[in-house]
Amino acid sequence: MGFRHGTIVRNEGHGTIFYRMEVALPEPVQFVPGQFAMLSGWPGNDPLLPRPFAIYRAASAGGRHSVEFVYKVVGRGTALLSGLHGGDPVSVTLPLGRGFDLSGEGRTWWLVGGGVGFSTVFPAADSLGHRKGGFELFLGGRTRDQLPPKDWTPGGHTAGRLHLCTDDGTAGFHGTVVDAIRERMKGMGVSDLARVTILACGPRPMLKGLAELAAGAGVAMQASLENHMACGFGVCWGCVAAIRDGEATAYRRVCKEGPVFNAMEVVW
Amino acid sequence: MVRDMTPDLSVTLGGGLTIKNPVMTASGTFGYGLEFAPFYDISRLGCLIVKGLSREPVLGNPPQRIFETASGMLNAIGLQNIGVERFVRDVVPRLEDAGATFAANIYGKTPEDYEAVAERVSEVSSLAAIEVNASCPNVKEGGIAFGSSPDGIARLVERVRRKTGKPLWVKLSPNVTDVGSIAKAAEDAGADAVTLINTLIGMAVDHRTRRPVLANVTGGLSGPAIKPVALRMVWDVCRKVKIPVIGIGGIMNAEDALQFLLVGASAVQIGTANFSNPRAAVEVVEGIESFLREEKIASVADYRGTLRLS
Ligand SMILES: Cc1cc2nc3c(=O)[nH]c(=O)nc-3n(C[C@H](O)[C@H](O)[C@H](O)COP(=O)(O)OP(=O)(O)OC[C@H]3O[C@@H](n4cnc5c(N)ncnc54)[C@H](O)[C@@H]3O)c2cc1C
Ligand SMILES: Cc1cc2nc3c(=O)[nH]c(=O)nc-3n(C[C@H](O)[C@H](O)[C@H](O)COP(=O)(O)O)c2cc1C
Ligand code: FES
Repeated sequence: MGFRHGTIVRNEGHGTIFYRMEVALPEPVQFVPGQFAMLSGWPGNDPLLPRPFAIYRAASAGGRHSVEFVYKVVGRGTALLSGLHGGDPVSVTLPLGRGFDLSGEGRTWWLVGGGVGFSTVFPAADSLGHRKGGFELFLGGRTRDQLPPKDWTPGGHTAGRLHLCTDDGTAGFHGTVVDAIRERMKGMGVSDLARVTILACGPRPMLKGLAELAAGAGVAMQASLENHMACGFGVCWGCVAAIRDGEATAYRRVCKEGPVFNAMEVVW
Repeated sequence: MVRDMTPDLSVTLGGGLTIKNPVMTASGTFGYGLEFAPFYDISRLGCLIVKGLSREPVLGNPPQRIFETASGMLNAIGLQNIGVERFVRDVVPRLEDAGATFAANIYGKTPEDYEAVAERVSEVSSLAAIEVNASCPNVKEGGIAFGSSPDGIARLVERVRRKTGKPLWVKLSPNVTDVGSIAKAAEDAGADAVTLINTLIGMAVDHRTRRPVLANVTGGLSGPAIKPVALRMVWDVCRKVKIPVIGIGGIMNAEDALQFLLVGASAVQIGTANFSNPRAAVEVVEGIESFLREEKIASVADYRGTLRLS
């Protein structure tokens, strides 16, 4: 983990809502899918705090190192980021938090990304793609414009792997990813379901719906949570989520003990 | 004057304590200190102050706990912490290994709580000082009752004073009408130094959902937004008490830190800046040193309190 000054290589809009930023860094980045960075790219004190973003990719070649982020403009910080250009300075603290647990042989992985949540699960797809069992990918958006660009989708070309879902039915399955997973579970036996692990990132209502579905079906699930953050590395205790601790409830830091939690332990 | 002299950054804080430079990190913004070891050598700090410690571990407030505001942030953490026992057992040995100078920030719901925590941390021989949080706005009874009147603070400080031989600092709330008289009461009751300011009580609401943003409804405002208020209060208190004053509030860089020293603070604490830039505190140490060098000022002590009023 470290605090680094980097330089923007590329920062471009894709489709209607997503931006992708590549940042050159002095050192290589090694990360576990699901880990994130605190990123800031503005001078002065307003905005004051860096913003958390999932590490989308990291690459090293010929002595050059870079890291990529995918983001959606939702407020002031992301709007400022979207206005930056190649050559502009940014600072990043990374890699942060606890990512997905991809251990476990012979499991069936279902990766679920709601909205910009795909930025967190695509790196997991990259890791799992090398394995025999492979994975299936469920991507949800309000409309077809809000799905990730096709050429970004890992393993998207393999038949049966990719399930696109839109709330308005303009592409793929007409309904939410939760509905799509419910469909996918139909006809599966108890032992098949017991082999499935869902890895999910997206809006909280989606995660909650999925967790309830998974719990009912005996399916394991890891959920990547979001919360407002100040530090991102466990010192301010501002980012906590309620997590079951035996009979009691504990407040665990999303940035440190998370962002990935066992969905069955989250107090939704 | 000697060329290339190395300025003397050390400061004396009363109660027999001298630290290597005037830069500390503020309680609640620096975890238990070790979290910053990946960013720099934490033994370079004058002193680090750990998250407020209580007798028993504390769960803290429900989320949402923080919210960014214009050049500042609101927090209502509710003093979540691991409790004094775990601090002494698990954290202290590692701070010692890291060569860090550290102080314990303590709080309680009752004077007895304060006494118990003070007694326990006083057993730690490597502990540089105790900072009594008489001012946290986010916990009901959490010190605020003691910190809001001269009598209240005097009673609390007298009791803690009897339980410890460590340098005793009293952290003051800005949410009072006359911070000077409260600082004076702390001094008279036996404090070795006063530290200020803690956060200013604030609030944020959502005009669409018609709900408060923080689960606790109100929170403590920190960051650059509070710096002018903090600077004025530190300046005021420096003229009212003879004990050292430790200035806190919105310090983001060496220039800000120097301004607090200029109005009379003996040392400073870096808080919210640690979130924006994890290296902020060590950069302040470097910045103060290079300023003194450039200006050919021999020591922090020579610069401190030299505000020109005419
Ligand atoms: C671990 C983690 C990984 C993330 N990864 C990505 C990513 O890869 N791509 C991406 O686009 N976004 C990601 N986010 C969300 C991103 O951090 C926020 O969208 C961003 O901080 C908003 O900043 P802003 O200044 O533009 O918005 P603000 O003006 O601060 O807020 C705009 C709106 O978004 C809400 N909001 C702001 N921050 C958060 C947050 N952290 N959690 C929930 N709601 C929030 C606010 O309440 C408000 O309604 C991630 C968040 C976390 C915690
Ligand atoms: C997230 C957060 C937690 C804090 N927790 C404590 C605490 O436990 N005890 C305490 O005395 N002060 C606490 N403070 C107050 C700071 O130590 C400091 O007095 C205040 O933030 C003003 O300084 P700043 O503007 O540099 O942050 C906290 C502040 C923040 C932002
Ligand atoms: S953001 Fe500070 S502890 Fe998680």
